[in-house]
Amino acid sequence: MATKAGSRKRSRTALEADKPVLSSDDEFEIPEINGHESSEDEDGFSTADEGSDESEELSDAEGSEDDDEIDSDEIPSDDDISHKPNGVTNGDLLDQEDAPNPEDNVKVVTGADGNPRYIYPEIDPVYDSDDTDAEEFNTIGNIPLEYYENYPHVGYDINGKRIMRPAAGKALDTLLNSIELPKGWTGLIDKNSGAALNLTEEELEIVKKLQRSEITEDGYDPYPDMVEYFTNTVEQMPLSSAPEPKRRFIPSKHEQKRVMKIVKGIREGRIVLRKPQSEAADQPEFYDIWADDAPPKADHVMNIPAPKLPPPTHDESYNPPPEYLPNEKEKKEWEELDPEDREKNYLPRSHKALRLVPGFNGFVNERFERCLDLYLAPRVRRNKLNIDPASLLPKLPSPEDLKPFPTTCAAIYRGHEGRVRSVSADPTGVWVATGGDDGTIRVWEILTGRQVWKLKASSDEAVDSVTWRPTAEGRILAAACGNEILLVVPPIFDPEEESHSKEILSGGFGYAANNQGGKEAPGKWSKPDSGLDEEGVVVTITVRKTVKYIAWHRRGDYLVTVSPDDVRRAVCIHRLSTHLSQTPFKEKSVTKGIPQRVQFHPSKPLLFVATKRYIRIYDLAKAELSKTLKPGARWISSIDIHPQGDNLIVGSYDKRLLWHDLDLSTKPYRTLRYHDKGIRAVAFHRGGFPLFCSSSDDGTVQVFHGRIYSDLMENALIVPLKVLKGHRITSHLGVLDVDWHPKQPWLFSAGADGTARLWN
Amino acid sequence: MGKIKKKGVAGNARNFITRTQAVRKLQISLPDFRRLCIFKGIYPREPRNKKKANKGSTAPATFYYTKDIQYLLHEPVLQKFREHKTFSKKLTKALGRGDFSDAKRLEDLHKPRIKLDHIIKERYPAFTDAIRDLDDALSTVFLFANLPSNREIPAKTIETCARLAHEFQHLVIRKRALRRSFLSIKGVYYQAEIQGQDVLWLVPYKFAQNVPVDVDFRIMLTFLDFYTTLLGFVLFRLYTLEGLVYPPRFDKALDDKGAGLKAFVLEGKKVGQLEDATRGAVVATKDVSRQLETLGDKIKEIQEEEEDSAAAAVVVATEGENAQVNEGLDKFTAIQSKDGTTADILQQPNGDIDGNRSTSMFSDFTIHLSRETPREPLEFLLRSFGCKRIGWDAVLGEGSFTTDDRDPSITHQIVDRPPMVGLPPVPAAAATTKNGEDTEMGGTAASGQRGKVLGRIYVQPQYIWDCVNAGKVLRPDAYAQGAELPPHLSPWVQAKDGEYDPTAPVADNEESEEEEEEEVEDANGDVKMVTNGGEGVDGNSDGDDDGEEDEWGGMATELAGEGEEDDDEEEDGSAGAAQSDAEASDDDESAQLQHQRELEAEAAGVSYTADKKKSTKSEAKKKLEKQQKAREEELDRQKAMMTKKKRKLYERMEYGNKKKQDEKERLESKKRKIEREKSKTRKARD
Repeated sequence: MATKAGSRKRSRTALEADKPVLSSDDEFEIPEINGHESSEDEDGFSTADEGSDESEELSDAEGSEDDDEIDSDEIPSDDDISHKPNGVTNGDLLDQEDAPNPEDNVKVVTGADGNPRYIYPEIDPVYDSDDTDAEEFNTIGNIPLEYYENYPHVGYDINGKRIMRPAAGKALDTLLNSIELPKGWTGLIDKNSGAALNLTEEELEIVKKLQRSEITEDGYDPYPDMVEYFTNTVEQMPLSSAPEPKRRFIPSKHEQKRVMKIVKGIREGRIVLRKPQSEAADQPEFYDIWADDAPPKADHVMNIPAPKLPPPTHDESYNPPPEYLPNEKEKKEWEELDPEDREKNYLPRSHKALRLVPGFNGFVNERFERCLDLYLAPRVRRNKLNIDPASLLPKLPSPEDLKPFPTTCAAIYRGHEGRVRSVSADPTGVWVATGGDDGTIRVWEILTGRQVWKLKASSDEAVDSVTWRPTAEGRILAAACGNEILLVVPPIFDPEEESHSKEILSGGFGYAANNQGGKEAPGKWSKPDSGLDEEGVVVTITVRKTVKYIAWHRRGDYLVTVSPDDVRRAVCIHRLSTHLSQTPFKEKSVTKGIPQRVQFHPSKPLLFVATKRYIRIYDLAKAELSKTLKPGARWISSIDIHPQGDNLIVGSYDKRLLWHDLDLSTKPYRTLRYHDKGIRAVAFHRGGFPLFCSSSDDGTVQVFHGRIYSDLMENALIVPLKVLKGHRITSHLGVLDVDWHPKQPWLFSAGADGTARLWN
Repeated sequence: MGKIKKKGVAGNARNFITRTQAVRKLQISLPDFRRLCIFKGIYPREPRNKKKANKGSTAPATFYYTKDIQYLLHEPVLQKFREHKTFSKKLTKALGRGDFSDAKRLEDLHKPRIKLDHIIKERYPAFTDAIRDLDDALSTVFLFANLPSNREIPAKTIETCARLAHEFQHLVIRKRALRRSFLSIKGVYYQAEIQGQDVLWLVPYKFAQNVPVDVDFRIMLTFLDFYTTLLGFVLFRLYTLEGLVYPPRFDKALDDKGAGLKAFVLEGKKVGQLEDATRGAVVATKDVSRQLETLGDKIKEIQEEEEDSAAAAVVVATEGENAQVNEGLDKFTAIQSKDGTTADILQQPNGDIDGNRSTSMFSDFTIHLSRETPREPLEFLLRSFGCKRIGWDAVLGEGSFTTDDRDPSITHQIVDRPPMVGLPPVPAAAATTKNGEDTEMGGTAASGQRGKVLGRIYVQPQYIWDCVNAGKVLRPDAYAQGAELPPHLSPWVQAKDGEYDPTAPVADNEESEEEEEEEVEDANGDVKMVTNGGEGVDGNSDGDDDGEEDEWGGMATELAGEGEEDDDEEEDGSAGAAQSDAEASDDDESAQLQHQRELEAEAAGVSYTADKKKSTKSEAKKKLEKQQKAREEELDRQKAMMTKKKRKLYERMEYGNKKKQDEKERLESKKRKIEREKSKTRKARD
């Protein structure tokens, strides 16, 4: 049956596909066949069940007949219905052409080309007529519709009739349409009708469903509720009426066999039920583990055996010597301490007799602590140094060998009002010059402490720096006061020397006039006012900003000044013989930071410029940077260069004194930190003693022994010698400047308390 | 450039593992990890660089050595822990179901039992290693032997501990291994020498121990588990080496009566057994089981025997001793050859260890312990040092040599009570004759009231300890009944140089005494550190001592003077105008002042000697101070030249030394004070 049905379906589709090309003859013939076959059909029905072979044969034999059989199959009253329409059509055709033969139905007209043209009658759309899906469609194929724009029709139907263009709306309608799109508007034109192709509500729904990739069928539910075939409700009646098997009521043979096996075992004593756990089983069985007598292994490095508890001491005795007993104070102290902080967990007690000794309360606790220590305390191996601590102390040269060095205050130079900013000893070692906040420059006799000369350089500006020219002849004192540099020859020397000194200074006036033409010079050399002139000032150099520091070249022809406020011309080199000033660093970027101190190398043409963080060494001959030292200080306050030129000390405001060995590295060789406050000044002795010192805001001057060996392999030996205390600290300032005597191991210091001191 | 090293692949980062990581790696709970660590003896470490070990984090963490944890991964005990976990699940399930018989069955048959044998062998590959680690084991076992049982501590554990403790004591007695002992306020310390190793343990006094609530007994019991196993194996080995059967026969009945050590009977191994010694366990346990079967009969036998023989143990011990004598070394004497040249003489080990220390000093004594004395420590001590006949009062328990305190054989009686005054002495012989009647009257208490028995020495318990520590029998005078005892000192403290030695007399010269006196005169009586420098000034209160003071001070002046003169010369040479130096001006001032005084004195017509004395003294003081100052300055300079590391080390050492020194001085001054008070009271009595 199934196969038959399948074949039937197949044949019908074939039939449908053929339909358009069916000739009219065929169509005509169909009813007859139908009629003939219908009787056979009824027979076929009865035989169908009995043998499919026959029917298959039948179908194989006559293909077209089979087709009809199908039709009659589907509609039992095929006979009447199929005949009737046919009859009707026939009748219609007859009405049109009144021709009984089949050809009568066809109307023959002469076409435009003169050939006969058959016009077939309209087909009555009965069910069987089967021309349903071939609606009125346009036959123009894929010719664009635009071609018909000028015609009233849009194409032709299957019969060659024109399909007329539907009446186009008025202009207003099109306008309205363009403004308000009608529902289902697609903007397309239906090719078949020539009207606008609008989609209906249903079609739109289908399109939407397709877009959602749903099944388009109406009312299709993709998630229907589950129909529970087997519910959890308990059935009252059995589903199966099979009787309960017997095996469920009788004991299992197999189990019995197994039980009997066990019973037999128990009877024979093979199996002991509930074997009582012997006492010994709980206890470990002991045997000779160390029977092999292995030699003790060497300890692994990482193995740290637990330290043994120390043996008891005398004070733990029940009857200790009386001196071990604590007195009231010690007892109280012990009791007040937290139990964890106590050095020992017992207090020594004395008992007259053994019978009076009570039990120790913390015994269990003590053992517990030990247990905790054993498994919880991290173990570390510590090496104990069993040496005399004195052997750790370094061997220093005895102070006797280091002598002489200044130890005591020998003289106090009083007179300045306000701080003494600067101090400098005369190269002859007789005079000492000081400059202070009161704007005066004073010269004192070293030994007596008598003030021999005084110059009021300015009423409002402080004298920040004074320095003697470091040469044997020519007694010239350079002093910085505000933005002026005064070159003074104090009238305390014999007239010959004085005049010689003045000659040195005034010799360059001509040069200055010649050379300083249009360009503005960094320093203006001029003769002082008459008042100052009489006091001994020979030349004043005026620079732009306040000069903080002056340093002489060793030959005494050049002096270098620093005015940190002047960003572009902070460092200025002045030449006495030509009265010429020049700024070696035109831009701030050259020195990379504000210069704090400047120094000439004692023997080479090098210039040391100390900025806040770095010290840069410039080769003046080659005019290039030769080295940068990195002391690591935050703010360098002062530097000084060893007379031999290979070592440098740096003082910084962050309390450090740094010793640089220029041959070793750019990092300090030693960092000394003995001051409590920032260091203000540092100085090497230049007269042959291996001494240097630092002065600080903590009011002290510290003196060190700093010996340099000619052997390059040996590093410098630095020994702290003495802390000189004496200066008072006034408004957080202590000792502002220090200078050594040129020949003796004497030290001059300038304090913020308005005094300068001599130490020897 | 060298190869770039990756972080965290070597060194500290690799060698150490935090506890959390370790626990996660082993997949066990923290308590199990703790037990495992205790059993295996794994302890946390302190890495050199904690930050590196903790992979850059500075959070506090406990670190373990990674390899330790790695070895734990295949530890059989770890497997047992897991088995126990499943077992406990089954058990709780059974209990939850109310299936108690099943739970019982599970508990009895399927509870995993942890064996620690392999751990002991692993931790102590050699026997001496085990002995070396015996201190803590013994102390813990002895403590638990004296603890009351409660919910946390099962009675069986305590029993085991008590048994092990007794067995160990027996062994020490037999081997004469005890060296020192000490009565402290915590308990009694003992030190024995076993296999050349010193073992020190502490036994609490026989009191009900205070069991604090904040002690976690789970930890203690875990340790105890390990310690009992260790001690068992060690004892087995030691007994076997000694030719004894382990475990020794234990008489429960006797033990219940308080026989203590006597409840154990040591048995020598027979020849056949000796061969089996190495095979160990099986043989021994079998023997024990057989012995247990016949225990009932044997106890009867023993009870019969007991009446005539003093003690089975003692007999065995003596036998052993004889054997030892036979086994002992023969004296080798080098034979002199005819031509006079001698061969090399080799050192032979001495029977008595520590040279002249005797291990059988009490062998000739018969000692009786009074009721109030602690029996256990005394019995152990006396037996360890050769005493075989020890009797005690019946209240102290079974096992006494004689309960009769008037036995004429008793040579020493240990008493710990004040003497009865006013009772006539009882001669020993008379006492024995009366003995029969007395016992009939049931008057042991009455006999005690009679006072002392003549012919025996009464000593306090400390006597025994001091004898043991001295290594010889001391004179008993100082330890007589009621006498004030000499202080009992720890035998382990040997006073080194610079440490306080209580036996040495304190430097009792007049100076110090005087200083002390001044101190006493001080209102507060505080103990002060009196420096030598201070003495010069203080000395002037006593006229008598002045001469000495001067001498002493004078010497100092000489020393200081040289330096001072030099200084002065320099000063003069350098700057005459130097006036502002503080010290210099001080000196000058004093000089001027002195000069002024002299002038005044002259004017008054009085000799200036007294004043001069004073001035010289003050001068000396000043010089001394100056010297001190110079020394300090020098030290400061030296310190300044040290590197920071060395300076720290130096300061630490100095701190330690100073602490020691302070302690010594404190004790010395106390002792001086006490002695002075004593002498004062003595004088007052006179």
